[in-house]
Amino acid sequence: MNYAVLCVPDFALHALRRSDPGLRGRALGLVEGDGRRARVAAASPEARGVAPGLAASLAMSRCPGIALRPRDPAAEVEAQRLLVAAAFTLAPRVEATGGGCCTVDLRGADPARTEALMRRLAAELAGAGLPARIGAGATPLLASYAARCAEPVLVVRDPGGFLAPLPLAFAEPTPEQDGILRGWGIGTLGGLTALPKAEVGRRLGTEGVLLWERAAGETTRVLRLAEPARSFAAEWAYEPPVESIEPLAFKLRRFAERIALELRGAGFVAERLSLTLLLEDGGDHRREFRLPEPGADVEGWLRILGGHLDTVRTDARVAGVRLVAAPARPQEKQGGLFDTGLRDPASFWENLARVAAIVGDDRVGTPAPSDTHRPDAFVLERPAETVPPLAEGPVHPPLGPTLRRFRPPWPVRVACAAGEPRRLEDGRLTGEVRAALGPWRRAGDWWRPQAWAVETWQVEMAGGGVYQLARTDAGWCVEGMLD
Amino acid sequence: MPPPSPTVSALRSLLAVRFPEKARRPCGGVPAAVRPVDEALGGGLPAGRLTELVSAVPSGGGQTVVAKLLEATQAARQRVALIDGADGFAPEAVPAGLLRHLVWVRCRAPEEALAAADILVRDGNYAAVVLDLRGCAERALRRSPASAWYRLQRAAEGAAAAVLVQTTRPLVPAVPWRLVLDAPLSLADAGAPRDDVADRLAVRAERSHGPAAVLLAG
Repeated sequence: MNYAVLCVPDFALHALRRSDPGLRGRALGLVEGDGRRARVAAASPEARGVAPGLAASLAMSRCPGIALRPRDPAAEVEAQRLLVAAAFTLAPRVEATGGGCCTVDLRGADPARTEALMRRLAAELAGAGLPARIGAGATPLLASYAARCAEPVLVVRDPGGFLAPLPLAFAEPTPEQDGILRGWGIGTLGGLTALPKAEVGRRLGTEGVLLWERAAGETTRVLRLAEPARSFAAEWAYEPPVESIEPLAFKLRRFAERIALELRGAGFVAERLSLTLLLEDGGDHRREFRLPEPGADVEGWLRILGGHLDTVRTDARVAGVRLVAAPARPQEKQGGLFDTGLRDPASFWENLARVAAIVGDDRVGTPAPSDTHRPDAFVLERPAETVPPLAEGPVHPPLGPTLRRFRPPWPVRVACAAGEPRRLEDGRLTGEVRAALGPWRRAGDWWRPQAWAVETWQVEMAGGGVYQLARTDAGWCVEGMLD
Repeated sequence: MPPPSPTVSALRSLLAVRFPEKARRPCGGVPAAVRPVDEALGGGLPAGRLTELVSAVPSGGGQTVVAKLLEATQAARQRVALIDGADGFAPEAVPAGLLRHLVWVRCRAPEEALAAADILVRDGNYAAVVLDLRGCAERALRRSPASAWYRLQRAAEGAAAAVLVQTTRPLVPAVPWRLVLDAPLSLADAGAPRDDVADRLAVRAERSHGPAAVLLAG
């Protein structure tokens, strides 16, 4: 699985419900339009008999206890930030695809661990009042199909088997295409992809080919990456102002849930919390809390904040609340006096795995010399948990500029005089040699079939630059630059 | 470099007053142990910032800066990531004892290098991240969008690592510190101790928001 999509069906409805404690457990309808034109855009499962498109007056008669509310943009922004923060805990490359939808680039993540993480995240989001569905697949499109079918998490391992029974509407055909395909007796994605792509293109044109690719889940795209949160703050204005603790505590829980996820996604913990109550008379009440142990424990934060709120008495009603967390890097283990180990081992190994997935397992590690004098021989080892202290200095301190290799080496034609290189000719490096040092001759493994022998020179070009040349049975090559 | 105009100075003062948190943010520094580089930066590579080191000429000394940085960070027992865009690092050119704190990422293309940097810069375990793009194909480098650099800069700001980007021509947009190595080393330097070679490097500050020491002192 390369991508994951987090989506929240009826996002605006859930955003509204999670922002108002009075709506918990009640039948709720989201209305659009005013007066007689007001219609239900979305309804909660408790609103029996109410469906999207129903007139508001009819909805009230069918479900007498229903609460009908317009969309709340502030609540949607807060809920979207929570969803994006949750996505960042899966991987650092996240796209805020739309309201209630995020796409995550999972390439490089450990599949088993990521699937477990997605399940935990879905439960966490549901607990925060945002029942998200999470789908994962090889392309963003496949992941979005999976998210639409997920309950609450679905990882597509067999795209063909997953897509075959899905209705054709998933691929979003135009009404014309839908009519034609229905006429052909095709109603599922599998039915369409069973047809040869070229034949579909011949009959339905380019649009038909694109539809076929969408049906096969093949369509991919570049994600418009979002930035992880850099400030960890949340604010809410009450209308009307409040004078009891409950609405404050409810909102602070929502803030804490979101901020904790944002901190996790950015690899931070909170070391201080700052609470500000904005009062109706223009004044405010501020208090800063230094956490006993830096962390992102929502319940711990709420105990501290709740304990303080119990003691607060203000002269005016509370018109707004603001919570700010001061980030710090997690100190995951007790450091010894001389210990310079990893500050965050989990993040270190996880990030190395991600990088290895990009460049290859055999191309990441700590270089160590091989037991040979063969040029450019080394092994890549697993990085050490602890940086060891500097051993005694090398017997032969390094001299001169440092070699930077060209891999593979550049073959070059070398004109020699008196046994020394005098001129190089190559597409990348041509010119007269101003000075040369060498040769240094090495050979090894002569008792094996892979015996080797090399003669090394260092040359300074008339046009500038010092290069290292190697001469073997195969001819001359430029090994690298002394830089 | 001409002194900044009074208007710019006034604007900087105003920003420092309006946003004291930004101006006084302690950012620390990672000494590169190369005197001209550390002097130009006011003490070392600034933590949480990008520094671009342009090797404008062949054998300008960029790899010697990497070798000395490895030595300095090993002495301080700090971890370093080297993201090697063209796979040019030569382990045998550095004493083996100075490699045990190094995580070397051998990339095949600049896209891989930028993706790896995007991950490792955010990791809190590295004191320095070196992104070496020398030797990468010019066409591939031009394809990397400016937004990738801004994203990397913002990632660096949120992390503790000093980020050193090695290039052969100015590449990183709006980089706070850009140093240019514009005098080639010669074969006469081949027998000199590397410390001396490093201290003789010709480093020119092309773009600077003031030495890192200002931030350190702030």
